[in-house]
Order: sequence, then C-alpha cells, then structure tokens
Amino acid sequence: MTRTLREHPNSLEDGVGHRVVVTGMGMVTCLGSGVARNWEAVRSGISGIGPITLFDASQFITKIAGEVRGTFDVKGHISPKACRRLDRHQQFALIAGSDAIEDSGFTCPPEDPYRCAVIVGSGMGGLQTIESGVEVLQTKGPRKNSPLMILMAVINLAPGILATKYGFRGPNFGVVNACASGATAIGEAFRIIQSGRVDVALTGGTEAVITPLSVASFNALRALSSRNDEPEKASRPFDADRDGFVISEGSGMLVLESLEHATRRGATIHAEIVGYGSTDDAFHAVMPDPEGKGAYHAMRMALEDAGIGPEQIGYINAHGTSTELNDKMETLAIKNLFGKAAHKVPISSTKSMTGHMIGAAGAVEVIFCVSAIKTGTIPPTINLENPDPACDLDYTANKAVSRNPEYALSNSFAFGGQNASIVVKRAG
Amino acid sequence: MDDLEKRVVDLIAEVLVDVNKENIQMNSKIVEDLGAESLDIYDMIALMEDEFGLEITDEEVEKIQTVQDVANFIRERQKAS
Repeated sequence: MTRTLREHPNSLEDGVGHRVVVTGMGMVTCLGSGVARNWEAVRSGISGIGPITLFDASQFITKIAGEVRGTFDVKGHISPKACRRLDRHQQFALIAGSDAIEDSGFTCPPEDPYRCAVIVGSGMGGLQTIESGVEVLQTKGPRKNSPLMILMAVINLAPGILATKYGFRGPNFGVVNACASGATAIGEAFRIIQSGRVDVALTGGTEAVITPLSVASFNALRALSSRNDEPEKASRPFDADRDGFVISEGSGMLVLESLEHATRRGATIHAEIVGYGSTDDAFHAVMPDPEGKGAYHAMRMALEDAGIGPEQIGYINAHGTSTELNDKMETLAIKNLFGKAAHKVPISSTKSMTGHMIGAAGAVEVIFCVSAIKTGTIPPTINLENPDPACDLDYTANKAVSRNPEYALSNSFAFGGQNASIVVKRAG
Repeated sequence: MDDLEKRVVDLIAEVLVDVNKENIQMNSKIVEDLGAESLDIYDMIALMEDEFGLEITDEEVEKIQTVQDVANFIRERQKAS
C-alpha cells in the first residue's frame, strides 16, 4: 500500500509544530502501583484478574474483575482524610499523576502555570459515588445527600484536582470517550503542545467502575467474560475460547512536554509522541464496524502524522479486548493497513493481563509502548492457547519476546465507535 | 470533654483535611480558627445530621460559631426530643 507522506514528520501544516516528548509516567492497575512493577508483571505474563471483592457479586453473571488491591497509594500521595472527599477514580488519578510528576522531575508549581495543561480521560467518572447517592436519595429522601456527591461524581474534577495540587493553570478538561478516553486525552494533549499553546501537559486516563450497576449493565450487553472459575484465564484476546472482556480499574498518567522545554530543564526523556489519529466508525452504538474502517483510518492518520510507513512500526499494543467483534475487526484493520508487514509486526494485548480499564486503558497501554521501546521487550498476549482462525497475526502468544522497536503503535476503540491511535518513538 | 463533645470533635476533624484533631479546642471558632469554608460546613452538617439523627436548618447554622456551640446545640436538641 502506498501513500504520500508529509515531507516533514511531526510538523503541522502551518509549520509551527513542536516535538512532544514523554518525561514522566505513573500508573496503578490490578497488577500493582508504579510503572516498574506493572512492566515486570506484564513482561512476565502475570494476570491481575481475580474474584470481585468490591461488592457482593454472588448474584451476578460476572463475578470476576481486575481490582486494584491492597495499599495502592504506596508513596502516600493522599492522606486517608483526603480520601473521604475523593471518588476511587480520583484517588487513582492522583496517585498515577503524582508518580508521573515525580518521575518527570518538573518543579511544581510551575514558573509559567498558564502554559501547563491537565487533560484526563474517564469513561464514567464517579459511578460508585452516584450509585451510593441514588441509594441515599431513595432510602432517606431528598434532604440527606452528601454535599460531596457532585465533586466526586463528575469527570472534570480529576483534572481539576491535579491542577490544584500542581498549580497547572492552563487548559484543563476531562475527555469522555469510553474505552478510548485515555488515548484520546493523550492525543489531544499531544496536539495542544505540538501547536505551541502549552509547554507541558499532565495527561492520561482513570477509571473505577467495578460497581454493581456497571457490571450488571455490561452483563446485560453480553459484553463481559463469565469465566468465573478461572479468573486468570478469562481475558484471552484473539483466542477462540474467549467469552468477552474482563472489566478492571486503574489509572495511567504521563507528563508530556515540548522537546525544547524538556531539553531546557535537562529532563530525562522516556520517548517521543509522534502521531495521533482519531476517527469514529459512524456505524453502531456498541458494535464496531466489522470491516474495521474506523480503526484502519485512525491508525492510518497516526502513521501519516508520524511521517512513517507501516513497516516501520515495531510493536502494536492492540486494543485486543477479548471480544469476538473487536479482535476480528482489529486484525482485519491491521491487515488492510499494513499489507505484507501485518504478519511481521509483533502485536500484543496487555489487556490479557490487566483486564480492560475502560477510560484508563489507552493511557496505561501507551506507557507499555514506551516501556517496550525502552527495554526492547514485547510483552505477551497471555491465554492465547487456541487462536481464533480469523486472528492469524503474530500476537506474541504467552511469552514476551526481545525486539528493538523504534516505533510502537497503541490502539484504543470505544463503544460509540470512537477510535484513537497513538504512535510512540524511541527517544533521540 | 464529655462523650458528645468528643464525637463532635471527631466529626469536625474528619471533615477538615488540613487540621489535626489535637488542635481543635472546644472554644475554637470553626471558620476563623479552623479555616472551614462553606463546603466544609455543609459537609459537617450532613455528618452531624447523620450521626445524631437530627435536622439542622441553615438559619440555625448561622448562630453557631465555636465547637462548643455545636455540642450545645446538639445537646439541647436531644433534650427537647
């Protein structure tokens, strides 16, 4: 497949494009707190999925999920008192965000606070808070709801809280894009730095929707795995025996900044963001277009944005949800775009280990792309024992492999048809 | 401090993230000394109502200044019922 690529990679049409680099990363998932710990787990092929403990799931079709367990605030970023006023998704965002800022070495509050943005994606924000609030309303009447309800429920408070904590006074918003929220937030942060409007952005995604209403409703859509007896084997992207995705929770956050800004302050550069593509299937409320046109074009745009051809991509972190519709569609879209290169590029779905963190997934997976590039390791797709015949690419089955990707591509596709693809490049 | 007063101090301490419980005196003014803002006050009212099973109107809240005022208010309300 041939196409015209821009002469100057990474430059906007008006010629003012700034290069955008990753200088800080943080995450909390069902595999633990911190990028190092998570990377060790995914490269080792460890599943974080287990029985639901956050509520009594005994009457639910699905009784398993990827819960963030134990002391997830390892570094003590939030006082126990402050937690009372934060929904779980906000707590995750604060922990991952604090880790990312710490990792970046960026001094806060910033000297030029209006050139620092916070953009955070979340699919459903404080759903647990809303569910508890509805219960209070119904059992105790309309005068007993907590004044904290609204602040804990709405999605734009996660970026708001981070702005307050770090003194970032520039553009600030939540991105609501279901399973593509995190990737879309990173893409928009990339654009806003590239365009020169800000120098720094704290960005990523956060989600905490292992709640009764969420699990019951995803069950009603027949979207979740009910492999309750074997939780660790439940998320099995591209495997013929999969039976749906496994819901999980967590947050991934990155500090992005212009190359000039990062260089000026002597920051350590983990990698560069060089491409972003976003589309919509315009097809169906929850089903992806089986022909994968939206996914194809999101990847195409991201590659064109990066100024590279498909054969230069050395790793694809697939959306790979472990649903039949997604896995087939994504495989087809990759084949259509990559042509012969489709069978050579190592692909994996880290959701086989982390489960599907909805609005946080894309952010965590972009970080895994950075880690893959930095360490020369492609993490596996675990539980790939009996490949779906329609899924015949190299999904790095069950065991990590050593490769040396210069470019990695991260895909995120949402209910609603939204697609976001991000291209990450080795620093230098 | 009697039992009720201790419970009141505990609730105020729970709401005010930046205040140590040891620094809350019965004569501390909730806004001026402890730095409570409007959201903190609403939060305290909701917790007090829940803890002591009563309803507090916004007019009644306006008359309350110190931690002691809160305890006295609750005590009187409990006597009345």
